[in-house]
This record gives sequence, structure tokens and C-alpha cells, in this order.
Amino acid sequence: MSLDFSVLARFDHALLLGLMTTLKLTSVCILLGCTLGFLVGLARTSRSTVLRLVSGTYVEFFRGTPVLIQLFWIFFCLPLILGIELSNFASGVIALTLYMGAITSETFRASLKSIGPEQRDACVALGLPSRVQVTSVILPQAVLRAIPTLLSNCVSLFKESALVSAVGMADLMFVGQNISNNTARPVEVLTVVALIYFVIAFPLTRAVTLVEGRILKKLAI
Amino acid sequence: MTMSFSLPLVKMQALHKSYGDGAIQVLKGIDIEMKPGDRVVVIGPSGGGKSTLLRVMMGLEQIDSGSISFDGKPYISSEAPAKKTLIDTNVRRSIGMVFQHYTLFPHLTVIQNLMLAPCKVRGEPKASAQARAQALLERFGLGAKARAYPAQLSGGQKQRVAIARALMLDPKLMLFDEVTSALDPELVSEVEQVIMQLASQNMPMMIVTHDMWFAKNIASRVIFCAGGVVVEDGPPEQVLGSPKEERTKEFIDRVFHIKQ
Amino acid sequence: MNYTFDFNSITFAPLLRGLVVSLELTVAANIIGVIAGFGLALLLMSPYRLLRMPFMLFVEFFRCTPAIVQIVWIFYCVPMLFDVFLDPITMGVLALGLNLTAFNAEAYRASIQAVPREQIDAGIALGLNPWQRILHIVFPTAFRASIPVLLTNGIVIFQQSALVAIVAIADLMYEAKSLATETYRPIETFTVVALIYFAVSFPVTQIVGFLERRRQLLAS
Repeated sequence: MSLDFSVLARFDHALLLGLMTTLKLTSVCILLGCTLGFLVGLARTSRSTVLRLVSGTYVEFFRGTPVLIQLFWIFFCLPLILGIELSNFASGVIALTLYMGAITSETFRASLKSIGPEQRDACVALGLPSRVQVTSVILPQAVLRAIPTLLSNCVSLFKESALVSAVGMADLMFVGQNISNNTARPVEVLTVVALIYFVIAFPLTRAVTLVEGRILKKLAI
Repeated sequence: MTMSFSLPLVKMQALHKSYGDGAIQVLKGIDIEMKPGDRVVVIGPSGGGKSTLLRVMMGLEQIDSGSISFDGKPYISSEAPAKKTLIDTNVRRSIGMVFQHYTLFPHLTVIQNLMLAPCKVRGEPKASAQARAQALLERFGLGAKARAYPAQLSGGQKQRVAIARALMLDPKLMLFDEVTSALDPELVSEVEQVIMQLASQNMPMMIVTHDMWFAKNIASRVIFCAGGVVVEDGPPEQVLGSPKEERTKEFIDRVFHIKQ
Repeated sequence: MNYTFDFNSITFAPLLRGLVVSLELTVAANIIGVIAGFGLALLLMSPYRLLRMPFMLFVEFFRCTPAIVQIVWIFYCVPMLFDVFLDPITMGVLALGLNLTAFNAEAYRASIQAVPREQIDAGIALGLNPWQRILHIVFPTAFRASIPVLLTNGIVIFQQSALVAIVAIADLMYEAKSLATETYRPIETFTVVALIYFAVSFPVTQIVGFLERRRQLLAS
């Protein structure tokens, strides 16, 4: 069979719009998700048993179920419970933010735990109160240590974002599938769609090794 | 060393400490008095309680019972069976400690490490803290490294920075916990020289070390601590040279590989 | 909230059928992924650049594109490109299996490279030839180290298997969506199905956690 990539020429604008939607969704969810993940990560290491249990259950549940069912649940069930209409963009944001919050909380929890107790000893020896200890010593190190894994989390989120096509949101995957159906040329169209995802995700995964090598090595953090 | 009558700087009474709910007894009744200007070196076998003693003094560990007073003021106390250790944090601020593994803050430069506590805890203005920090670094021969990150320094340099960092708070007593044990041999002397410099300025200090030669040079008093109790306590010529206690003698012989 | 819960509307028979399909897909994909992943890892570590490059590209492609894109691609393009007709479940297994192979290859590679150099040196000093060193030193250590990651990847594939519902394979997710639409009771249906996925995944993640803690304890 012959491949004809020129069919895509007509659809470059549509694909671009789809890509923009994907990127917009991903960026919003990264910001919201990281913030949520940071707070949840703190909650999981807190001294309050209630906080630990609640945050632990949230994380285990969102990591232990398919993202697709989380998305479907938010899209189909949440409006019924809250009694309001939810656009597919809103559902997508909520579902992906909750997912990102769960995976980044693990990242932050691990990085907080990796800071040795000697740092706390040094703070006590210098008479630093808890507030200063946390904001000036523990937090900066935790965030710096978390960056490589956070970048990986972002790539994961970018990939999972393709699922919003299943609830009818016009992201890159949705547009791609539509074009593929219209032109009856799935090989060309879907390959190009895959390549677009690849071209964005691949450099990010390389950036992870770069950050680990340069920045963290320099600081020996 | 003047042997004048003066109030003890540190007075430890009947210190008991155990781990694992009494399973492992680390301190079994320690009574020590330090006079102002004392340079106490604590030696002993591993697990004998030396480092724990220092950590307790810094308020890093809880005690089961006993009390410590500092400069005449009550500092740490606990009554069995209450098990809650009361620590006066104001008094704690007069004590500085340097650890075996430097424990500098890796995300801050050397000078930022020094300035953090004075600025954030005592509210000292940045300019004055920076000037004092720079002067202290010059004194230790590290002036050029002020803007370097800890990862770029050698072990000996890091340890000297750690000492400078503790000194920024004008402590009345310095605790050194095996500060040269983790260093390559050729870097040990630069750190010991800095400590000798402090000694010459009459800084009271309690040092835990394995380095017997250093102990001989700096100590005004040596305490041999083993099995959680003070076995022998006296001037260096006695404890290190001709110990009175059999256990001390055994330990010194093993360390120096000579039969005395 | 105007919604009366009615859990009786859930008929478990179709859900159970779907669960069986999901588990079949997962197990088949895991068999492929564990075995082929190891072979792929060895190829990735080959000293010949020409041999390494295409396989590295393969791995990166599967790790840097969404699983749903991979599944849809295999579903629509493989029949067209290779002029074959494969039944849906086989294509699902193929897609999930290739995906898992790529991730497992990375896991194996990392654990092989993590075998301490001193152990291999000791093997050389004892006079073992390269094959013996691989068999008796590298393989046992690396495999034991990679078990937690292999288990984690395996259970991730179980969750990714839900995506085959989008290409209308009758797995648990597909049955869930059908049931929810038929009975107009999405909350009960999706909640129960989410719990089923969780009930399968959670024990495995707990086992992984237990294994990791034990390894840390033994190592210290």
C-alpha cells in the first residue's frame, strides 16, 4: 500500500489547534497539580494521623486506578453529585489535576524524606526555630531534589492528557482521530500525531538527565 | 590554667538515658562539672556514650532523668518517670556544636551558611552579619571561598566553615563531636589548628575525639567514658599518661599499642 | 443532590466477564514484557552502535508517546500496513505487550548497570569467564533488584489495559461504560468498577513496598 502524507496538508490548522488545547490543558494541570501534590506531600509526612490517612487514601486511590476511569467518573458522575454542568475542559482539568497531585505528592514525599536528619541537627545547634528550619533549609533542598522526578511527572501528565479525547474534548488526539476517520488514512495521520507527541515528550525526558547531571551534581544535593 | 574558685559553667547531675524504652542504657548516671575556660576532651570506646553526651548537651536528645545547668541557670531536666525532657531554648542558644559530617546547608553559599542564623534568629541586619562572617572566614583562611558552594570545598574546608558558622552566634561553650574522624589525614591538622586558635582565646569546649595526640595537646582535662559512666576524670598527664583506673589503662594501651 | 443510589442495578456478570478479559490482557502482556524486555535490555547494552540505535529508538518511542495513541495506531494501522487480520484481543495484547517490553527493558538495563563493579571484579579474580559472570553474578543480582519495578510496571499495564475499551474491546472498562449507559447509573457503576481495579492493584503495590523495605533492611 502506498503512503500519502500530503492528505495532512489541509488539516495543519486543525492539528495545531488540537495541539494548543493539549498544551494548554497540560500546563494548567501541571501548575495546579504540583501545588496540590506539594501540599499533599506535606500532609503525608505530617504528625497528624488524620491528615496522613486522608492524604494517603487519596494518593493510593488515584495511583491504583486507571486514569480513564477517574476521567469518566469526573465527567459523568460529578455533575450529578454537584448538580451543575461540567464542560469537558473542566472535567479534564479536575481529573488530570487530581492525578498529577497524587503522583507529585509521592515525588515531594520522597524528596522530603531523603533530606537527612543531620540537617535538622544543624538547625537545632544553630538555634533556628521550626519556621526558619522549614522555609530556609528543608524546603529549598526538597524542591531542588524533586525537580528531576517532577519533570518525569510532567511528561506522564502530557501523555495521559490524550485521554480527554475519550470525553469529546478537542485535543490533539481527538482531532487526529477525526482526521483519520475523515480521510480513511489512519497510518499517515496517526503516525504524525504520534510523532508530535514524541517530539515534545522526548526532549523533556532528556532534560531530566541534564538537570540531574549539572545542577544537582554541582550542589551535591 | 588558673585554678581559682569560680562557679561551674556546666553542671551535669545524674544523667540517665536509654533507647528503646529502657532496653539499651546509654548514659547510666553521669555527673560532670565544667569550669569556665575548661577544655574537656572525652575519650572512650564506641558506644560508650561520648557522642550521646554531647548530643544531650546540645538539646538534640531526650534524657530519662537528671539535670544540666548552664552558667548557673537551669537548662535541661527530666524526672523519671515523667520522661519529658524540659529544655530551656534561651540557654541552648549559648552553646554551639560542630558535627562529624559538617552538615553545611548545600543549597547556600559558604557566606550564606554563616549568615542564616544571625539574620533569621537574632534579626541581625544583613550588612553587619556579612561583615562579621567575612572577617571570621578570613581568620580561618577561607576568605576567598565566601561565595563558593559547600560541594566545591574539601572536607577540611567544610569543617572549618562549620566551626565558623557556629561561632557567628557568639557561643559561650563549643561542642566538637569527632570533627576530624571523617577527614582524610592530611586535612585533619588544618581543622585542629582552628580549634587550637579558639582554645588560645579561652573558649570553653568539650571535645569528643579519637585523636589522642590532639587530645594531649588541647585538653585541660580528660574524661574517659565507657559503658555509660565516667570511669576516670583528671588532667591529661594522668588520664592519658598514667591512668589510675585499670579500664582506662586497658583502653589507652589498646589505642597506643604499647604496654605501659 | 437529587440522586437516589441504587446499587442493585449493577449486574456483576458482565463486569466479571470484562474483568477476566482485562486480566487476560494483563497476564499475556506481562509474559511478553518480562521476557522480551530482558532480551531488549541486552540489545540496548550491546557495544555495537548500529545494533543499539534502532532499539533505543523503539524504547524511546514507546516511552514518549501516550499509550492510547499506541493502542489506536496498532488497532487501525497494523491491519492496513501488513495486510493481516488479527482479532481485537491479540492486537490489544500486542500493543500492551510492546509498551511493557519497552518499560521493562529500561528497568532491566538500570538494574544490570547497578550491579556493583566490585562483584564483577571479584568474578574476574576468581577466573570466571564472561558467560559465567553473567549467569552467576550479574543475572541473579540484577533480576532480584528489578523485581519491584517489574511488578510496578506490570500493574501499570493492568490499569493501561482500560484504554482498550476505546477501541471497543470488551474489557472491564468497556463493560462498565455499557452498564452505566444502559442503567443510567454512572455513579454506582463507575465507583464499583474503580474499586475493582483498586482491589487488584493495591495488594500488588503493597507487596512491592514490602519487598523494597526488606531490601533496604538487608542492605544496611
